[in-house]
Amino acid sequence: MKIVVCIKQVPATGADKRYTADLRLDRTGVEAIINPLDEYAIEQALRLADAGTADSVTYLCMGPDQASEALRRALAMGGDDAVLITDAALAGADEWTTAKVLAAALDKLAPDVALMGMASDDARGSLVPGAVAAMRDVPLLSYGSELALADGEARVRRLSATGFDWIAAPLPVVATVTDQVGEPRYASLKGIMAAKRKPLETWSLGDLELSADDLHGAALTTVTDTRAPEEKPPTERIENVPAPEAAAKIADWLEQRKLI
Amino acid sequence: MSNDILFLAEFSAGKPARSAIELATGAADLAAQSGGSAVALAYGSGAASGGAALGAHGAARAVVLGDEDRPAITYAPAAVAAARDAGLAVLAPATPNGRDLAAALVGSLDLPAFGPVRAARVVDGVLESEQATLQGSVITTARPADGAPTPSVVLVLANTFTPAEGGSGTAEVAQAPDAGESALSRATVAESHEADAKVVNLEEATVIVAGGRGVGGEEGFAPLRELAEALGGAVGASRAAADAGWIPYQLQIGQTGKVVKPSLYVGAGISGAIQHRVGMQTAEHVIAINRDPDAPIGEFADLFVVGDLFEIVPALTEEIRRRKATSGG
Repeated sequence: MKIVVCIKQVPATGADKRYTADLRLDRTGVEAIINPLDEYAIEQALRLADAGTADSVTYLCMGPDQASEALRRALAMGGDDAVLITDAALAGADEWTTAKVLAAALDKLAPDVALMGMASDDARGSLVPGAVAAMRDVPLLSYGSELALADGEARVRRLSATGFDWIAAPLPVVATVTDQVGEPRYASLKGIMAAKRKPLETWSLGDLELSADDLHGAALTTVTDTRAPEEKPPTERIENVPAPEAAAKIADWLEQRKLI
Repeated sequence: MSNDILFLAEFSAGKPARSAIELATGAADLAAQSGGSAVALAYGSGAASGGAALGAHGAARAVVLGDEDRPAITYAPAAVAAARDAGLAVLAPATPNGRDLAAALVGSLDLPAFGPVRAARVVDGVLESEQATLQGSVITTARPADGAPTPSVVLVLANTFTPAEGGSGTAEVAQAPDAGESALSRATVAESHEADAKVVNLEEATVIVAGGRGVGGEEGFAPLRELAEALGGAVGASRAAADAGWIPYQLQIGQTGKVVKPSLYVGAGISGAIQHRVGMQTAEHVIAINRDPDAPIGEFADLFVVGDLFEIVPALTEEIRRRKATSGG
């Protein structure tokens, strides 16, 4: 059983972020990390490897050259090898383009399970996994709090409106997992040393037999403007008053806004 | 290509989800700008009999993708067939099911994807949308690239559109074009487990009273429930409270839980970590109640009440009940 975990490198949570003059995310001088929710996908894959269910775990990432750091960090947690897809033509890639490129790379890697995090920190559409599944014509098992593999079938445990379901589909699949799979492991010093010797390949669009034309430039969408959010009025504070008085003040506040 | 605005209309247990009604209103509003019609892509149990009633909320037509209780993603082939070359945009609720189907449209038909959006409009015959990115620190305006295929796929947060009520229209109901099968329709429910307690759909609540670590335990949610009831709202929680087992995960608000947009959010004993904030920052009014005067939630709440939630929440419940009683409401 072969698992490919797709990861994304994102600016660190809480880092100071801004856009460049051509309305792209400015990545210069910003600390970059593995998208925190992708670490749960890594953890799920490594648990399946620890259990002997998965024979190999490969990491796949699309990004600039420095995204190889994210792949090395993932390899330090465990797993076998990694592929970085990097190409100047991919600057400004949107969700469709990202899905197109990952789908082409996954066609080449042909895993039983392509595993991804449920969302990324820096853009919250969460559409890439499902788009990849549609492009590759394989089933999608999304938002799993656990992934199980057996007898040519994958299952995810997914919250339903009132409880949870196990959703099943025949392999190969694209699956996404939530932060309920268990806390991601830390890389040990031994793991960090071992990661330096694990294979990390770099592919260009040419290696995927894709061209910038196939990708509609790099995006089907275009950002026409960025601005700061509307200034909110400063926070009003109620403090150092007894509870009944605080309650009356809150109720006045709600009444003024016609909320009660 | 037409100028129609399509929208995903989810049904379950015989009824439309609130998202279906909100998106019907939003699609009708956008269709009025584009010179087209609002068209529902209705799926799930109750879609066949309930599609016509979406007319009361603005839908001119309802295409029934299927009327069974099965995973939403299995409706993908029908949704793809119905959306192919059809209209300017497909609105999808920014829920797990909505995102699954939206992603299938993007991947199957090579469509531009937007959202979750906070606003949308039609400008010069093109759908333009606004999105909060980078944890809400930047608002971006986006549109399809020149020559991009249509329709655009647009994720919409709950409560972005206020449902039009009291309408009397009837949507013309049609069956989806024959779509056949694809790998996406192969997902099945292998096992189903019901929770003991009934849980509400938080995405549909217009008032939410949420509790966090400061609530201290399962029983600590009791005063929050009473306040929610007095306000006509629902109870939610932070990840810390859900992880502790004090409340079901269905009620977790945040990056990995529900993304909510109520008109009023009251956070009690919630510090306001970024992961929680991205799940509720588009609420219209935010009240925080916290003992810690330096809690991060105090930086973005509209009203920050510093104090003990176990004193303030019951006092507030009592005050609201008293005022409602005297106003006759």
